[in-house]
Amino acid sequence: MVQPLYLRPRAEEPLASLLADGALLHSLADGLGSPLNVLAPQRAVDNAGAFLAVYRRHRLGGRVYFAHKANRSSALLRELAAAGPRIGADVASVAELSHALGCGFTADRIMATGPKDARFRWLAARVGATVNIDSPGELERLAALVRTCGFAPVPVVLRLSAFEEGRGSAGGVRLLARRSRFGTPAGEADALVAAAARHRDAVELTGIGYHLDTVGLDEKVRALERCVEVMDSCLAHGLHPRAVDVGGGFGVGYVEDAGEWDRWTTALTDAVRGARPPLTWRGHGYGLRHENGTVRGAAALYPAHRAVSGPAYLDELLRHTAPSFGRPAATLLLEHLHELHTEPGRALVDQCGLSLARVVEVRPAPGGDGERIVRLAANAGDISLEEHGVLVDPVLVPRGPGGAPPGEPAGVYLAGNLCLEADLLTRRKVFLPRLPRPGDLLAFVNTAGYAMDFRAHRAQMQPAARTVAVRRHGDGWRWCPDEDYWPAGGTDEDGAPQQERERRPEGERA
Amino acid sequence: MRYDSITEAIGNTPLVRIDPAVHGLRHIDLYAKLEMLNPFGSVKDRPAWHMARPLLAEAAATGRGTVVELSSGNTAKALALLAGMHGLGFKSVTNRMRVPEVKELLLLLGAEIEELPGRSECLDPTDTEDPLTRFHQALSEPGGSYLHTDQYYNPLNVEAHAAGTGPEIVADLDGKAPDWFVACVGTAGSSTGVAKVLRAQDPSVKVLGLVADKSDFIPGIRTIDEVHQVGLFDPGTYDTIEPVTSQEAIDGMLTLIRRCGILSGPTGGAAYHGAVRRLRRVDAGLGGDERRAAVFIVCDRAESYLSYVRARRPELLGAATRAAAPLTSPDDVPPREPVKVVEVAEAREWLGGAESRPLVVDLRGPHAYAALHIEGSVNIVDELFDELLRGGLPFSKSRPVLLACPVGEKSVRYAALLTRMGHPDVRSLAGGIVGWRDAGAPLVHE
Repeated sequence: MVQPLYLRPRAEEPLASLLADGALLHSLADGLGSPLNVLAPQRAVDNAGAFLAVYRRHRLGGRVYFAHKANRSSALLRELAAAGPRIGADVASVAELSHALGCGFTADRIMATGPKDARFRWLAARVGATVNIDSPGELERLAALVRTCGFAPVPVVLRLSAFEEGRGSAGGVRLLARRSRFGTPAGEADALVAAAARHRDAVELTGIGYHLDTVGLDEKVRALERCVEVMDSCLAHGLHPRAVDVGGGFGVGYVEDAGEWDRWTTALTDAVRGARPPLTWRGHGYGLRHENGTVRGAAALYPAHRAVSGPAYLDELLRHTAPSFGRPAATLLLEHLHELHTEPGRALVDQCGLSLARVVEVRPAPGGDGERIVRLAANAGDISLEEHGVLVDPVLVPRGPGGAPPGEPAGVYLAGNLCLEADLLTRRKVFLPRLPRPGDLLAFVNTAGYAMDFRAHRAQMQPAARTVAVRRHGDGWRWCPDEDYWPAGGTDEDGAPQQERERRPEGERA
Repeated sequence: MRYDSITEAIGNTPLVRIDPAVHGLRHIDLYAKLEMLNPFGSVKDRPAWHMARPLLAEAAATGRGTVVELSSGNTAKALALLAGMHGLGFKSVTNRMRVPEVKELLLLLGAEIEELPGRSECLDPTDTEDPLTRFHQALSEPGGSYLHTDQYYNPLNVEAHAAGTGPEIVADLDGKAPDWFVACVGTAGSSTGVAKVLRAQDPSVKVLGLVADKSDFIPGIRTIDEVHQVGLFDPGTYDTIEPVTSQEAIDGMLTLIRRCGILSGPTGGAAYHGAVRRLRRVDAGLGGDERRAAVFIVCDRAESYLSYVRARRPELLGAATRAAAPLTSPDDVPPREPVKVVEVAEAREWLGGAESRPLVVDLRGPHAYAALHIEGSVNIVDELFDELLRGGLPFSKSRPVLLACPVGEKSVRYAALLTRMGHPDVRSLAGGIVGWRDAGAPLVHE
């Protein structure tokens, strides 16, 4: 019998109930094929409510913008659009902008970020979405466009970066930071603000922001206080921006149990140094390597178990003391009368979706010691957790009535449907409570953030996953294709608007 | 004793027996090797000097060079002092420093500190440019003048203990090796070096290595995964490796401080706790007049770790005594205390009135006040206001007061407190400065 090294997923409602309803999942996959994405969009509204509850706890105004790039679902966007004025959409292409508008977001609730082409800029300016300015050149181009076309002044947020460069910094310590290709270096903020003032007939400066790719609170709170300083300097130009935009990166905990995560990562280190059999296909080390008895390198893995993530991480950031002001971040914002903008992606769709893959074949792994390869009707592009460094077990959903037949835990490799050596859904050996059989489903939990359609492709003409959206109906579920999903009041089912409770997040009631 | 250089005072530290009444082991003599008594304050003085000496001798001739090390603690401290003695700089590259006193001390010693960024949130598994790789590239750039002591890989780190710590222990135990040696594993230098000497003396010596509990943090100790990234670490050195939590480390530290007169830091506390925990099982199996000896290392002193203790056991630093203080904090005032709360329009009328001339006190931070405030207001930040109120009312009872904070929450509590202290006319601005602005009332930037 193998000693299983599980990384069992955290499954909250509604995913826990969906996973328990094997008959529903099998009938969906039978009808719509494998792979199949299942979304529960109303959970996203609850998540946004949890973020807004943190705002309320700290008495902060401002919006939560869903980073659309995390998932292209219409159902998600429509539910969020229906949920109230403090929830917005952060869009990163002209198609995402059109989609957000079509799903019911008004332009005042939309933020256009990222690299922008002329079409994207034009549509954002035309409808009056907030444009998140990436560089001085972009500000110039936008101002020229507004004047040429005679548009109303466009709200802009200035995105800053490189906060640590050229700064003696608090306490004489130089903080090293990852380079970013986005944003204007904080050292050049003065010139950018001056440009915004010069173009005040064409742009209205509404905020200063950043987005840092780090889980470190220290770096983020230092960037935040620098933004507050820049906000202050705007007053001298007669500009009155209202919001500090702290971007995203609040994180999701994928693995339920901290002990399982600790045991697995320790076992990986042991396997890399040869102290135990490999845990991975061809001894892959996830960035760790073995040199002269020593483990070198760093594991390129998402911290799959996170004690603090999502709204709780925002809460910690807001409680964190800003080093040069000596006040907690939330106090700093509130005292300066600033609002807060956030752009959670992954964290906003936490527990909103799962991806189903059908087991096609189970066979012995060559040279393996009783190991098996489980081939799925899906590939690594369809379920791209691994691509984002996220390691978490799928849930076995057995075929047929009566639950799982008895069996012993089994370590398996999950192979995809491409004719390609590298097409493994994960290079990790996955432990399941028993060996799957052809016809069973594997449900990958919590894939709505970046793991559903972000990397999906049509290589080898394999079918792309369909996406269905579900909502509760009595004791069971109603489902429809994602594109046909409309929030309460927007469907003609049963001949009358649905008698659902009004889905406004908690933070909206006041 | 007279020395020509402070470096001569490194080593020859005392071996002190722990009173059996404290540890309760019946058949085992437990000794503490007091490495905290090295001149720079820790066990790291030995390897720092051993590793740096050859590099310093070379560089002092040219007068240029910067000693660099990946250290956020005692090695950095010792190297900074040694570099300074030789007219050279010292740079420490570390993860975010987690003990503020240690960071401040390093700055006092003239060290330059670079902190590495936190982990990436939006992970790119193909990104190979991790900050440590960049650090090593910078070290080997041509024309560079870095002197890298490389404590995790440098055999001189082990050698320092094989030549010093180990033989000293044997000499102090009358030429015999102890039956057990207990060390916390950081660079693995002390455990590897001492174990080598002790086992040469007596191959049956058992070595207990202590690591930090995986999700925990003890200064100077690595977790079980991290030790495998240490070049000097050889699992064969240890008979047992056991984890210790930060709470256990503080427990051990308290015992050493309060019962043994040994002013140990948390690392020494971890060693004591781990040693006694393991040795109790050994002790239970011994009978009659069997005697065993065990040695653990007290790595450094307590003073630098007050904030570490405060974060984990605030009650040890008197955090719970505040309730006994007299009524001087707004948090102490019952919420039902009647307070005059005025809406923005009413407040504006009151402020504009000719006869009363109320004093407006803005409780926000000075930067926020400087950016925008109510004209004519005074800025007393809440923390300072707290202090002032401890001494009594800081303004005349004849002058009405309007308190303003960001949203009217703190000001209500302070208004209640001032009323309780006897001020006849103190009011709180409803909705605070935010409400004031949202009502379209003027704010000035002076």
